[in-house]
Amino acid sequence: MNRLHPLSAAAYALQYGFLWLSVASILTLLLGGIFDAIESAWVSLAAPVGLVAGAAYGIAYYYRFEYGITPDTFDVASGVLARRSREIPYERIQNVDVRQGVFQRLLGLAVVSIETAGGGSTEAALNFVSESEATRLQHQIRTRTAEVKDRRRGRGRPDASAADERSPATDEASSDAETERTSAATDPDEPAPDDDGPTAEPDSTDGTTTSDSDPVSDGRDRVAGPDSRGPRREQLFALEARELLLYSFTSFRPAAAAALLGLFFFATDLAIDLLVSAARPFGGPANLGEGSPTSYGILTVVSVVNGVVTAYVLSVVYTFAAYYDFRLGRAGGDFVYERGLLQRYSGSIPVEKVQSVTVTANPLQRLIGYAGLWVETAGYGPESDSGGSQSAVPLADQGRVHRFTETLTGVESPRFRSPPTTALRRYLARYAIVAALVVAAAFAVAQFTPLERWYLAAVVFVAVPPAAYLKYVNLGYYVGEGHLVVRRGFWKRKTTVIPYYRIQTVSTRRTVFQRRLGLASLVVDTASSRSFFWTSPTIYDVDLKDARDVHGTGRKRLQTALRERARADDSGLTIDFT
Amino acid sequence: MEALHPRIRLFWIAKGAIGAIALGVVLAAVDQWVTDVPTAAIAAVVLLGLGLGIAYAVQLYRVWQYEVQSDALYLERGVLTFVETSVPFVRVQHVDTQFGPIERALGLSSVVVYTAGSRNADVRIPGLTPDRARDLQDTLRKLAVESEADDGV
Repeated sequence: MNRLHPLSAAAYALQYGFLWLSVASILTLLLGGIFDAIESAWVSLAAPVGLVAGAAYGIAYYYRFEYGITPDTFDVASGVLARRSREIPYERIQNVDVRQGVFQRLLGLAVVSIETAGGGSTEAALNFVSESEATRLQHQIRTRTAEVKDRRRGRGRPDASAADERSPATDEASSDAETERTSAATDPDEPAPDDDGPTAEPDSTDGTTTSDSDPVSDGRDRVAGPDSRGPRREQLFALEARELLLYSFTSFRPAAAAALLGLFFFATDLAIDLLVSAARPFGGPANLGEGSPTSYGILTVVSVVNGVVTAYVLSVVYTFAAYYDFRLGRAGGDFVYERGLLQRYSGSIPVEKVQSVTVTANPLQRLIGYAGLWVETAGYGPESDSGGSQSAVPLADQGRVHRFTETLTGVESPRFRSPPTTALRRYLARYAIVAALVVAAAFAVAQFTPLERWYLAAVVFVAVPPAAYLKYVNLGYYVGEGHLVVRRGFWKRKTTVIPYYRIQTVSTRRTVFQRRLGLASLVVDTASSRSFFWTSPTIYDVDLKDARDVHGTGRKRLQTALRERARADDSGLTIDFT
Repeated sequence: MEALHPRIRLFWIAKGAIGAIALGVVLAAVDQWVTDVPTAAIAAVVLLGLGLGIAYAVQLYRVWQYEVQSDALYLERGVLTFVETSVPFVRVQHVDTQFGPIERALGLSSVVVYTAGSRNADVRIPGLTPDRARDLQDTLRKLAVESEADDGV
């Protein structure tokens, strides 16, 4: 079993020291206020005691936290008083992520998180290990996973040629693993001797794989970069400067607005001062509290503009920093990616854990002919910032992204079918109701404020037909040979490719209104991460008969695909998709 | 297609009644502390809630159906939104039988089927007799084990 990096002892000591210090101080002050026997002045004694006790706890936590790599599982044992030991089988690991903040990069540290499907949070988080240890772990887990898979295949497949071809390599690999495990215990940094054997193996079943001499080798791989020591890492995609800038300027993150709002509540006075002084040159009030209705109106308008611009700038800066130097590569059967300017992220996703693939584009990106490609796995908990999907290609030319998608999944070029025009009627009615609500709200406001001419709000009705039309034209679905393709959304158009063999459940849903029009929505559920924002792919508002047809087709093809997969043992995804 | 046990209507009516009574208590509290609410209005709201609850329970019972088909568990349910769901046996992670206090008093039990999906991840069939629930659980478990080892995650 290994320990974390010694510096994490200092980090835990600091963290728990300050936590306990504040708890001790607050408790003393609180109890001092309630009971006469306790003096508030004891704080000067309680605080250092809390600090020392907390630091001691932090150090104990470090010594009681152990992790290790065994042939079949990744083990973590932790806890000072209450112990928990956890074993994670390799074939269940979904993602291995490495995160490095600014200070951690300066000190050469990294946080490793290991995710499996299910469960609310990260299954194993190592705070912190050294950079080289993080790389070693990522690589070791990958190698072991491939080994386990090979062993299982060797067992599960009676047909002789494949088994014979494999078993020597597997035996060798597992005996290597045995000897290496003992050596790993003494020297955690020793590189694995069986780098290329088993990891290269899974591809041999795949006819389309390029040979090892052919691929574009990653010339830019830095010395300390992940996988410099692992199996040969081939670059699949790198975000160019032009694409990075386009991506930064064309994406809008609601999180930026939320952050701005948070900042506003944190420093309200300063923010209001700034807003008032920004509006003054345009005719805003000289001070808050002495102004005419017109100047307040100007202040409101200028402040809104200010807020929107600031949120946009924040969003651009965040996107730029987060996706700076984005690179996607492959190592064995895994996608490996890294990105980030200040905080570095890197991670690996086994290609066979990919549940579905989504192409996204907002209106601006569609205007300039660009799109992004995301892959969904079942690993992430609800707290992950990416909402359960990982970017494979943040932004690239639309044609390229479509080509990538087709190579990755093997889906044919989809010929989308549209919902019937009765669906359009539904959206017209829906948005008309929304517009009516807006007018009603304006009317209500007019009752309590000097605002007149509330009926001018009726202008929103003009937006109803275009809104309904835009919603309608962006809907589409395609029932392919091996995949279902679902397209929806105007503001963030998502085109999701779902292989039939990834379907978990299928539901046909009809609300009261849909039943009246003979329409139905089909929800195709896959094992993606649970998230609030990323809803299950849904084919909206198609004729009931079509919905039932697709429902049945999905079910039937799932069974066929499962039978075929059991025979061919092929994940259906091509890792060299670019 | 198989329907649920008729007694499930009592369970749903009981749930509706609890909701209606809770609403009545809230209204009584408003009457006491905030503003006057006529007692007749409170009674009317509670009665209306009860009536809606009964109608809803009766209608829900009429539409609720399920069937163990060749490759999947198939269910139909829903009053306002009518939902037809297929849960392929291959995707079943585990199967529970559960019952709460009211169900227990009525001698009913539920089967809950879990998948690895994100939405509809747990599918519940309420209103089964305990024997039927255990029977269904066994059937589903056997079918899930037979169908495939690969759970797709």
